[in-house]
Amino acid sequence: MKVSIIGSGNVGIATALYLAEKRVSNIVLIDVVKGWAEGKAMDIVQASPIRKYDVFINGYSDISMIKDSDVVVVTAGKPRLPGMSREDLLRDNVKIMKNVSESIAKYAPNAVLITVTNPLDVLAYVALKVTGFALKRVIGMAGILDSSRFRYFIADELGVSPRNVTALVLGGHGDLMVPLPRYSTVHGIPVSELLPKAKIDKLIERTRKAGGEIVSYLKTGSAYWSPGSSAAEMVECVVRNRNRIVPCSAYLRGEYGIDGLFSGVPIKIGENGVEEIIELSLTTEEKQALHLSADKVREVIEKIEAENLI
Amino acid sequence: MEKVSIIGSGNVGVSAAFYIAERGFANIMLIDIMDGKAQGSALDLAEASPLRGYDIKIEGSSNIEDIKDSKIVVITAGKVRKPNTLRLELLEENVKIVDPIIEDIKKYAPDSIIIVLSEPVTALTYYAWKKSGFDRKKVLGVSGKLDVTRVCEFVAQALKVTPVEVSALVLGGHHKFMVIPPEFIRVCGIPITELLPKEEVDKIIDKAREAGTVILSLLKKQTSMYSPGAAIAETVGAIFNDTNAILCVPVCLDGEYGFKDTCLGVPVQLGSNGIEKVIELELSLDIKDKLKASAQVIDKTIESLGI
Repeated sequence: MKVSIIGSGNVGIATALYLAEKRVSNIVLIDVVKGWAEGKAMDIVQASPIRKYDVFINGYSDISMIKDSDVVVVTAGKPRLPGMSREDLLRDNVKIMKNVSESIAKYAPNAVLITVTNPLDVLAYVALKVTGFALKRVIGMAGILDSSRFRYFIADELGVSPRNVTALVLGGHGDLMVPLPRYSTVHGIPVSELLPKAKIDKLIERTRKAGGEIVSYLKTGSAYWSPGSSAAEMVECVVRNRNRIVPCSAYLRGEYGIDGLFSGVPIKIGENGVEEIIELSLTTEEKQALHLSADKVREVIEKIEAENLI
Repeated sequence: MEKVSIIGSGNVGVSAAFYIAERGFANIMLIDIMDGKAQGSALDLAEASPLRGYDIKIEGSSNIEDIKDSKIVVITAGKVRKPNTLRLELLEENVKIVDPIIEDIKKYAPDSIIIVLSEPVTALTYYAWKKSGFDRKKVLGVSGKLDVTRVCEFVAQALKVTPVEVSALVLGGHHKFMVIPPEFIRVCGIPITELLPKEEVDKIIDKAREAGTVILSLLKKQTSMYSPGAAIAETVGAIFNDTNAILCVPVCLDGEYGFKDTCLGVPVQLGSNGIEKVIELELSLDIKDKLKASAQVIDKTIESLGI
C-alpha cells in the first residue's frame, strides 16, 4: 500500500509519523519547496531503528511521485499570516487545492482522497469537483479532530481515561460546528448523565474554539499533533478497511436535508472511502444547527464559483 | 516495575500473562500448585520476548510465598466447567480451592488488590472479600469486562464495523443473570437502537449470554481462554497505569444501586487504589427489576457459602 501526503508542513509530517509508528503503509511526502520533503523523510526514517518501524518513507518535490497511491492526503495550503484576511487565504488555498487535485486525477486516479487544508468543507468540494472522483472517494478531515478534542475535554473534566470517551461533533469545521452531547458517551454512558448541562456547555464552547486556543498559546503556529493523528486514523481505516464509524466531512446528497455540499456527519470509513453515511435521528434543534453550519459553507462555495475560481 | 501474580497457570492464567506481557504492564509471577507447570509456561513466554520486544520479568513458581510484594494478585485457580454443567455447580469445589489461597494472600501480599476469575465469579469475589478482610475497594471480579467484550464483538459483526468503537455495559451476574441495558450499547456513541432493530439487539444479547457455553461445547475439553485473559489484562492494566478507566466488574456493594453486603457487576472506575469509584447510573424500571432478580440469585448463592 502506498500513501502520499501532499504538503509536508507540521500537519503532514505529524500524519506521516503516526502512520509510520503504526506501520500502516509506505509513505511518499511531497512538498513544493525543493528539498523540504526529502529532508523530513530522511529525519523520520533515521529514527526507525529506534522506533522499530520498517515502512519506506520518501520525500519529493515532484508531485508525479504520488503515482498509483492508494490514499492521498492533502495538507498543502497557506497558513494565515498576520495582516492576512480569511478571504485572501481562501483564494490562495482554492488555487492550491485546484492545482493539486489536477495532479491527483492524473497520477493517482484510483486513490481515496483525504483533504485536510482549510477551509475544510469548501476545499473538499473543490477537490471533488476538480478530480471528478466518485463521491465516496473524497473525504474531509474535521469531525474526527473536533470529536477528539471534545472527547479529551470530557475525559479531563471527569478524570477518566480518554479511551473511555466517545463523542460526535457534526457540521462544518468552524465556529458553527455541532457537538452532540446526546451521542457523546463515557463507556457508553451519555455524558449528560455524568456532568451537569452547564459544564457540558462549557466543554462544547471550548471544543468550538480549541484550534484557536492553541494558536493563542503558540502565537506563530497552530495545532498539528491532533490534526495529524486524525488524518492518520482516517488513512488507517482506508488502508486496513477498518470500517470505523467516525464523523468526517462527506459529500451529501439529501442526507440530513443537505444537498450538494460537504458537511461533517458520521460515516463508515473503509477501503472505498465513505462506505456509508449514517443518518441519525436528530432533534429539530440539532438539525437547525447543522443546517446553519452548512449554509455558511454554501455561501463561500457560491462566492468562489461566481468568481470562476474552480 | 511493579508485580502482578497470577495464581493458577491453566489456559486462562497463561493467556492473561501473555496479554499483560505484550502490553508491558508489570512483572509477572505465575503460580501453579503443580510443580513445573508455572515455571514452564513462564520460560516459554520469556523466550518469546526478544521477538515480541517486551522486557518485563516473567517467572513461575509452585511456592505461593513467591507472590510477596505483588500489587495485584489474580486468582484463576479452580475447576472449570465441562459441557452441560453450570458455573454454580463449581461453587463447592472451588471454594475449597480458593479458601487457602486467600489465607496465603493475606499472609504474603497483605497490601495487594485481589482479582477473581475462578467460577462462579460473583460469589467467589464476595467470598474473597469476606475472608481476606480487605477493603472492598481492593477486591473485584472480572466477568463483566468479559461479557462486555463479547457483546461488542457481536454488535460489530452485525453492523460490519470495527469492534473497537463499540461499547456496552453489563450489569448483575454472569450468564443467565447478566443484565445488558440496550440503551448503553453504543457504536461511536450512537445508541445501538438507532442502528439495529430491537429483535436483532435482543438476539445479540442472548448470544452474548451463551457465548462462553458455545465455545465450551465446541472445544469440549477446554473453556474459552483468550477473551477472559484479555479481560484480566485490561483490568490489571487500568490499575497499574492508574487510568481511571470505566469497566464493568463484580464488586462488593455498600448501598450503591440499593444493594448492601452483596457482590454485583456494576460499572466502576479502576485506578491504582483498585476501585476508585462505583458509578451509579439512572436505570430504567425494567433494567432495575432485572438487576434485582440477578442480585437475588447471587444472594442465595452467597448464603449457601455460610460466611
